[in-house]
Amino acid sequence: MQIEYQTQRLSMRFFMLMLVLFIIQVGYGLLLATQQVDPTVLAGTVNFNVARAEHLNLGILWILCGFIGAILFVGPLLAKREMVAPWLIKLLFYALIVIALWNFFTLRLAQVGIAGWWQGQPWLQQGLEYLEAGRIAGVLVLVGFAILAFVVLRTFPPVRQWNEIHWGLGLGVSALMAVWVFGLFYVERLDLQEYFRWFVVHYWVEGVWEVIHITLVGFLLVLMFKVDIKSVGFAVFWGVMLVWLSGLIGNAHHYFWIGTPEFWQFWGSLFSALEPLPLVFCFWHIYLDAHVNKRPLENAPAFYFILGSVVLEQIGAGILGFSMTFALTNVWSHGTWVTPGHGHLALFGTFGMLGIAAAYFAVPIMRKVTNYDQRLGKLGFWLVLTGMLGMAFAFNVGGTVQIYVYRILGLDWFGGDVARAMGVFKLLLPLFGVVFTIGALVVAYDLITLGRRVSVPAGADVHGASADIHPATRWGRPLSGFEAGIWLLMMWVFGAIITLSLLSFNLPRVRVAGDPTLPYLLAGVGYPGLMLVTLLFVWRFLASMEARANVASTPSLLRVLPAQA
Amino acid sequence: MSCGTGGSSCETPRRRGAFVVLAILALIFIVLSIFSFLKSRGQVTPDTVSFGPYQAADGKRVFQAYNCMGCHTMVGNGAYLGPDLTEEYKHAGPAWLAAFLPSAGGWPTTAAVRAQLQDPNQSADAGTDSIDAYLKKFPGAAERIERRGGGTTMMPNLPLTKDEIGQLIAYLKYTSAMNTEGWPPKVEVDGFDRRVQLAHGVVATAQAAPAPTTAAPVPAADPVAHGAQLVKDNGCVACHAADDKKLVGPGWGGLYNSKVSLADGSTVTADDAYLRESILQPNAKIVAGYPTGVMPAYGTLLKDDEVNAIVAYLHSLEKQ
Repeated sequence: MQIEYQTQRLSMRFFMLMLVLFIIQVGYGLLLATQQVDPTVLAGTVNFNVARAEHLNLGILWILCGFIGAILFVGPLLAKREMVAPWLIKLLFYALIVIALWNFFTLRLAQVGIAGWWQGQPWLQQGLEYLEAGRIAGVLVLVGFAILAFVVLRTFPPVRQWNEIHWGLGLGVSALMAVWVFGLFYVERLDLQEYFRWFVVHYWVEGVWEVIHITLVGFLLVLMFKVDIKSVGFAVFWGVMLVWLSGLIGNAHHYFWIGTPEFWQFWGSLFSALEPLPLVFCFWHIYLDAHVNKRPLENAPAFYFILGSVVLEQIGAGILGFSMTFALTNVWSHGTWVTPGHGHLALFGTFGMLGIAAAYFAVPIMRKVTNYDQRLGKLGFWLVLTGMLGMAFAFNVGGTVQIYVYRILGLDWFGGDVARAMGVFKLLLPLFGVVFTIGALVVAYDLITLGRRVSVPAGADVHGASADIHPATRWGRPLSGFEAGIWLLMMWVFGAIITLSLLSFNLPRVRVAGDPTLPYLLAGVGYPGLMLVTLLFVWRFLASMEARANVASTPSLLRVLPAQA
Repeated sequence: MSCGTGGSSCETPRRRGAFVVLAILALIFIVLSIFSFLKSRGQVTPDTVSFGPYQAADGKRVFQAYNCMGCHTMVGNGAYLGPDLTEEYKHAGPAWLAAFLPSAGGWPTTAAVRAQLQDPNQSADAGTDSIDAYLKKFPGAAERIERRGGGTTMMPNLPLTKDEIGQLIAYLKYTSAMNTEGWPPKVEVDGFDRRVQLAHGVVATAQAAPAPTTAAPVPAADPVAHGAQLVKDNGCVACHAADDKKLVGPGWGGLYNSKVSLADGSTVTADDAYLRESILQPNAKIVAGYPTGVMPAYGTLLKDDEVNAIVAYLHSLEKQ
């Protein structure tokens, strides 16, 4: 594939910025994990809340960079013409850098309690989770979203000619801007403030990012596997609709305990239990789309990260989200380490990996690299996948201990009781964090220097270890739909065990008698089981895809064997 | 699934149908939202809650300005480094919070909380000026003092002013009064010692910070040693370092007989009279660079010989 439109090249700078912000964000994450173990590290210099504000803000910013990069790369292909107003896109790029730098200086003001109040609004920073940035940055971000929406909508053909991909992206970029407005005013009541804060956070993730995610995954699959755009469009339409139909009222799962009435518990439990449906749908489609033909993977890292995105979405957002979405389970998971286990897998997994996948797809094309060494990218993928699954494991099991000590036993001394009981899992967090960080550095190094390193001689092994069909597992054989279904079922079985673990905190035996055996046992089976099945499934899926490369390189005589027919 | 091939003829009405369902769901959501914030809900609002002269609405601004949510949760939302703050006021009460907040790096002692109860705002809000009645009314404060009093915390000291502390207490009073539908869930396991044992497999006293919780009268054989004990018991060391470092208040090392610049621009010598006055009426002379009103007055709490012992102890501290 080659660049067809010059404005596609504008995506390059956003991908590079994404990688830089990603690495800085991971650095803050490592600091946070260390401070969870020992809160005195850098206390007074970079307090935990400042590092966390940076961690969340950079996370949002680099995910947006990935989205913008991907949208700019596919936009001209969808519109069949150059993007309009490239100067606005360049402006957007510099605005993003300014916002990141501005936040670096203003978020630190939380240490001295300066919010920059003027006209009843906090202009410098506002100390709200995910929306820490102050009003000045908020308005700048709004302008940035307006630019993005304007450029995309102006470039697209008239609405009448839109296919599902246009619809997905068009709605996505418009809603991105619309939803952000709810975060731009100060609310005096705590319950109302939280109500509107989740408008931004939930509808962004569940309503907007998810839509952009589904659409981009669909179109990247079209580009990579030459899938029929109509059939992908069908999946995109239903994915988007299921996301919105379940997620609109599904937002109610944030309104259980913030001071809003009890009836939200009914609506939230009902509708957000449906939220995994589109994810299962998307999961199934990547299986189908990746198997429309039997050609070898041309760009393995790009597909690795797309698969990682869809699979981690399935377990992070889908399964772990499902386990804590009922009022009877959420009452325990809420406000504990169980929540970030879900959050990390869902946010990095679903959206972060998609941005990296888009970069892996687009950067070699823009740099005109036909045959690049894909081993580094694969290594990076396995490191970030393992690191993230391990961190989620530490969060979730540590969180289960936290629920017991903090909520069941009512011991609220974090230094003396809670942290002490969570000890081992608090240590696991920075440990897997280091694995993740190494993976992130490998990915960033690989993408930034891709095509600039020593070029690979033609015919060299760029795929790494031979993907022979392993004699014991025979995982190189093609993955059948039935087998993929069994894997998915296994993930959900472990998800059910996890849900039961949270539910079992309600039993008198646990809650009144204080016996944690059952929830610990279920969590001890459920979480590691889910993480392991996920890891093995990705391994299995990719082994089957890699085997195609082998088939391709073997003499054509073998290709007519029935197994590959 | 007849549209699976993507015939454009059946795409448009299907999309329209989906939008109609979406609009119905949005309507349900909006109606539920309106009912959530009607007066009939009976939810407490910040404009109705105050602590002495301080308003909960101002406290919310302070809470956001310091990004408390970046380490703690509030109604369960936020970060998970420290405890949830929703019911902190209900458990520990205003005087404990006032003793804790200025010097968050150290856990308050009984005497530090008692000193706060001298404040008429405090006794009015707590409903008592007796420390025993207070600890009975707020068992969370009693538990904190007993197990942690005098120890160090994991929280950094924040440059909170007297007004900000009062406003934060008002805000926490508001969140404690909120109806959060039973969250955080009530603890139903009986017996504090039993709960600690379940958590750690040992009895509570085994890992309590070895801090004497009542100012036991120490025989005043050596006034310096007596003074050193008194500054620990009264929680002075949560704010004042024994060297010349600034924790919350000025450090004590080498303070005696040194020149001190005051906030009003004048300079005084830190002699016995100045040190006595700074303990008994700390707001009479404020050192340049420090806020007014953060330190409680110990005028009615310390006996004469105790003040003398503390001053003697201050004499003994060299600049380091």
